[in-house]
Amino acid sequence: MTAAAPLLRVEDLRVHFDTDDGTVRAVDGISYELQRGRVLGIVGESGSGKSVSSLAIMGLVDGERARISGRVEFGGRDLLALDPEAMRAVRGNEIAMIFQDPLSSLHPFHRVGDQLAEAVRAHRDVSRAQARARALELLELVGIPDARRRMDGYAHELSGGMRQRVMIAMALVNEPALLIADEPTTALDVTVQAQILDLVGRLKDELGMAVVIITHDLGIVAETADEIAVMYAGRIVERAPVARIFSAPEHPYTWGLLASIPRLDAPRGEELVPIPGTPPSLLGLPRGCAFAPRCPYAQPRHHEVDPRAEPVPGDPAHVVACLLEPAQRRRLWAALRTPERA
Amino acid sequence: MNDLRLRRARRPLPSRPLLLGCVATVALVLGACGGSSSDKKVAAGGFASGLPTDGQKRGGTLKLLGSEGFFHLDPGGSYFQLDYMVTYATQRPLYYFKPDDPKTAVPDLADGPPQVSADNKTVTVKIKSGIRYGTNKKTAITGKEVTAADVKYAFERGLNPSVANGYEGVYFPLVGADKAKGGPISGITTPDAHTIVFKLTKPFGATTARALVMPLTVPVPKSYVAPLDAKQPNPYDAQPERQAFTGPYMISDYKAGKTITLVRNPQWDPKTDFKPAYLDRIEWTIDADPNVAGRQIFSGTGLANADTPTAGAVKRFATRAKDRITFTPLGNRFVGVNTQRKPFSDINVRKAFAAALDRRAMLLARGGPLVGQLATHFLPPTIPGYDEAGGAKGTGADYLANPSGDPAVAAKYMKLAGFPSGKANGEKVVMLGENDSPAKETAQITRDAIASLGFDVSFRLLDQSTLYSKFCGVRTELEKIDVCGFAGWLPDFSDPYAMLTANFYGKSITAVNNSNASLFDDPAVNAAMDKAALIADAGDRAKAWGAIDRRLVDKVAAVPFLFDNVANIASKNVQGVVGQWIASWDLAYTSLK
Amino acid sequence: MARYILRRIGWTVVLLALVSAVTFVIFYALPSADPAVLRAGRQASPELVAQIRARLGLDDPLVVQYWTYMKDVVLHFDFGFSYQSGESVRAAIVSRLPATISMTVGALVIWLATALPIGVISAIRRRSLLDRVTMTGALLAISAPVYWLALVALYLFASDIGVIPIFDGANTYVGITQDPVQWFASLLLPWLVLAAGFSAFYARLLRANLVEVMGEDYIRTARAKGLPERRVVWRHGVRAAITPIVTVLGLDIGVLLGGSILTESVFNIPGVGRYAYDAIRTADLPAIQGTVLFAAFFIVVANLVVDIAYAFLDPRVRYG
Repeated sequence: MTAAAPLLRVEDLRVHFDTDDGTVRAVDGISYELQRGRVLGIVGESGSGKSVSSLAIMGLVDGERARISGRVEFGGRDLLALDPEAMRAVRGNEIAMIFQDPLSSLHPFHRVGDQLAEAVRAHRDVSRAQARARALELLELVGIPDARRRMDGYAHELSGGMRQRVMIAMALVNEPALLIADEPTTALDVTVQAQILDLVGRLKDELGMAVVIITHDLGIVAETADEIAVMYAGRIVERAPVARIFSAPEHPYTWGLLASIPRLDAPRGEELVPIPGTPPSLLGLPRGCAFAPRCPYAQPRHHEVDPRAEPVPGDPAHVVACLLEPAQRRRLWAALRTPERA
Repeated sequence: MNDLRLRRARRPLPSRPLLLGCVATVALVLGACGGSSSDKKVAAGGFASGLPTDGQKRGGTLKLLGSEGFFHLDPGGSYFQLDYMVTYATQRPLYYFKPDDPKTAVPDLADGPPQVSADNKTVTVKIKSGIRYGTNKKTAITGKEVTAADVKYAFERGLNPSVANGYEGVYFPLVGADKAKGGPISGITTPDAHTIVFKLTKPFGATTARALVMPLTVPVPKSYVAPLDAKQPNPYDAQPERQAFTGPYMISDYKAGKTITLVRNPQWDPKTDFKPAYLDRIEWTIDADPNVAGRQIFSGTGLANADTPTAGAVKRFATRAKDRITFTPLGNRFVGVNTQRKPFSDINVRKAFAAALDRRAMLLARGGPLVGQLATHFLPPTIPGYDEAGGAKGTGADYLANPSGDPAVAAKYMKLAGFPSGKANGEKVVMLGENDSPAKETAQITRDAIASLGFDVSFRLLDQSTLYSKFCGVRTELEKIDVCGFAGWLPDFSDPYAMLTANFYGKSITAVNNSNASLFDDPAVNAAMDKAALIADAGDRAKAWGAIDRRLVDKVAAVPFLFDNVANIASKNVQGVVGQWIASWDLAYTSLK
Repeated sequence: MARYILRRIGWTVVLLALVSAVTFVIFYALPSADPAVLRAGRQASPELVAQIRARLGLDDPLVVQYWTYMKDVVLHFDFGFSYQSGESVRAAIVSRLPATISMTVGALVIWLATALPIGVISAIRRRSLLDRVTMTGALLAISAPVYWLALVALYLFASDIGVIPIFDGANTYVGITQDPVQWFASLLLPWLVLAAGFSAFYARLLRANLVEVMGEDYIRTARAKGLPERRVVWRHGVRAAITPIVTVLGLDIGVLLGGSILTESVFNIPGVGRYAYDAIRTADLPAIQGTVLFAAFFIVVANLVVDIAYAFLDPRVRYG
């Protein structure tokens, strides 16, 4: 708990889409805070709303049929209340975002260097030469070999890892205070994944950025994140410092996520443990706990009442939204953690 | 697509009102249905008469709009309708048809009528003095006088492959011509500078004399043109502005497929000529769209058509501008059936078919009453012999009595043909037709008529040029077909010989380019035609050929159904005069108002 | 790239030779009008027809005729003489090319100037009233047969026969060197008519492409960089959406240079298209051959140019 004001505070963010079939509640009331220099990992399955929440923060949600409500405080302003022109000045400048597939995220017809320089000149009044110099600087910073030559190349001439480095360079070119990385490693090889995560970590320290990493893979953020928020069906079901998530998770969904991680030291032939069932459709969510249909511990009451995110007794930094009694949860977790799986 | 007036054989043009009661349609056009000759501008029905009048205005420019191009502007090769419009305005043949009298040829270059010897093998013509050549650029022959030797050379070059005249052999069987290929023809002699004598290989002079209106008789100065005739393609044809002109106008500019311009010929002496030549200038646009042209002529000034107006344009003029449209009869149409092959080799079957055919429906399919007049024999109204053959009433044959057809009469003749039930038993009949309207519709009516007689008709439609050049014009193909396309004829000049022989004379049947669609070869008729070709006297000739026409109907050489009308349209300030014998504007008589 | 171009040029020659051979076979060997008969007139004696056939070389074996023709074309650039008018085919086509080029270029400018903005605006403001109106209008314009559209245009706007006489009508064309003002005035209505269908097609095509492109990830990236929306639309969106349009444009130009027959006919513009139409009607074989070869040449060259241009536009497609 620090006394400094958080860099980013999200309060009860909701993103609902009106479709012909009904209302899709993609993000249904999430709240979190992020301090300068800290890393938040948002974890969840596809369709949990994790990407949409960040797009909403950036103002990149396709506006026509979307209803966005809540507050997003950043640098003393509510981003959701900004007019489009003001928001544009923030994007790529104070907050930057990188995406999952760097090949399709880079323009195929423009040179790499030009795309970076463009990002500079969108927010800074500099000459072309200066913007190019800055672009080169960033490319070298992210570790692109032979950067001067690569600048005049195209996206398809680079390997996957290189492209993601370029994306990172492009995001950082204006030294944003906050970087949002949406599945940055999903499209990459395992070995390259580690390199990219290292890079993000190093740059965060060098530039003093806050980072949000969105992923479906707990393992990715185990080392890099300071805090983890687990999303399910558009809500944050558990949020805690990273060590607590792994040592003392409180939500059955989180237990399921942990249990489903394949472990290198598990005996061969041991079966993987998936979470049974499938994520719910965000169209017409049933009443009650959204996870209840898949929860092995659900009781009839859980299908009626909506759980609210509440701090865990004794640890205000740890928040969970579950209708089970805390004591009950601890017992269940202890049982799951028995030596057979140690 | 337009009817191709150029292809004079096949495609006549629209219409003419079927009007009240007058016997001779020529008379109608002349307004002479009991009307006075002073009111010559208007024909019965309110349409323009197309006749020349007194006091026509001199000067001005006429603009013609046409969509077809020319085939030959060289008078030696000129043989198509549009070619004629230019040739007869810019050159002087030996004889000429004045616009209002298509039956009587008057001397143009010639000085007096042609003299036919008693044995019909020699024709002598005297030519006028003081007729001089005009040219665009000054050359050796500019202003030189026309001599008989020039007419002789005109005939000689007609056989030169670079000129390739299409009718010389038909009407001018000259001694020495069979060996000539552009060189001298011994059968033509010029005893002096103004006399020319034609010696023929057979008795044919009376007909040859009548053919002296053709453009082949236009004089061509050998010294000037012979070097051009040695070239392929012939510049006298491809660059017609280089010609030596004798007529009231000359071609000043020609862009193939685009425009042709006629201006006054400074060497033309009006004292030597009866043509008034009112206009100063004629500008002719080729390749205009026919739909648009019709509208432009309707709304504009100083415009007239060059070739066929569209049916839509005709209707518009006929209803809203009657005084600016003329209708002129030209040519006939008939259905030819193969007389040398079963079943139509039997005359009774032919009579049955004639009775079964709904000729009125054919007329309607072609566009209704404006299109022409129902025909009951083969000589059309502008040709001598028409009246003698029965005129509008016809020969009285019972199988042509009812214009809509008569199934009872048809059945009667089928029985006489040996089909007791009055119908055939599904014997095969092969028919080919054109796939373009209106030929397509009339082909279907014909097919239905044949089918109604109980025949099984194998029916196929093809495009026009393929149909005629590969099937109906080729004898070996035609022998396998019972009804091939449609036949009709436009006369080369107003004479019954030129009207009937191509289609019905036995010796006209050729291996290629055949025009005798019925393969009709009757020795008695052939002999009658041979004899009638020799008659020089106009009245006797008309009688003899009228009788032949009747015979053709009696023998059902073909089934006639239409005498076509040709429409011509003009803007409101144009007084168009129609040369009746070719049913096109006579540019030497047309004027502005 | 140079090797690629050389290879393509080589293929172009082969293709043109093939086109000429096929044209030859179609018009000489398959049933159609016999040009000698058409020229000879209807009462021609067999001798006369034979004479004309000999003069035109129609009795030589097909291969000999083809060889003679190709030799003249390749060595002397001589396409023979029209059966119909005796005019040199090459001279006729060359004299008509300026009119066809005028038609093509003018229409091109108009249709691009209208289609591009309309396509972009319709894509950006999808389902707006503007979008619906223009796309429906475009559908109508594409569906309207050119000949009909041309006639309607004349009947409405031609200064001589139109209801609202504002444009010059048919038969008013003159070459640009003769009278530039009249040249321009005479082409306005034909340009509009010709451009109508193309403009509609291109607007719809651009709209469809752009809608698809705007859903791509790199557009999202561009917005995430904080670029102004106009820049996102034009430099990122339209830039990517335009490449198929360039392809189609090149081919359309190639085809139009072969002559837009119908428009030329109605307005009586003496271009190559009209010449080809007349040639076919009168079975004027040298003229047909000439126009077919010219048209094929333009189309093949347009193909080549388009492929090369594509390589410049899309760096992912580079030829070795």
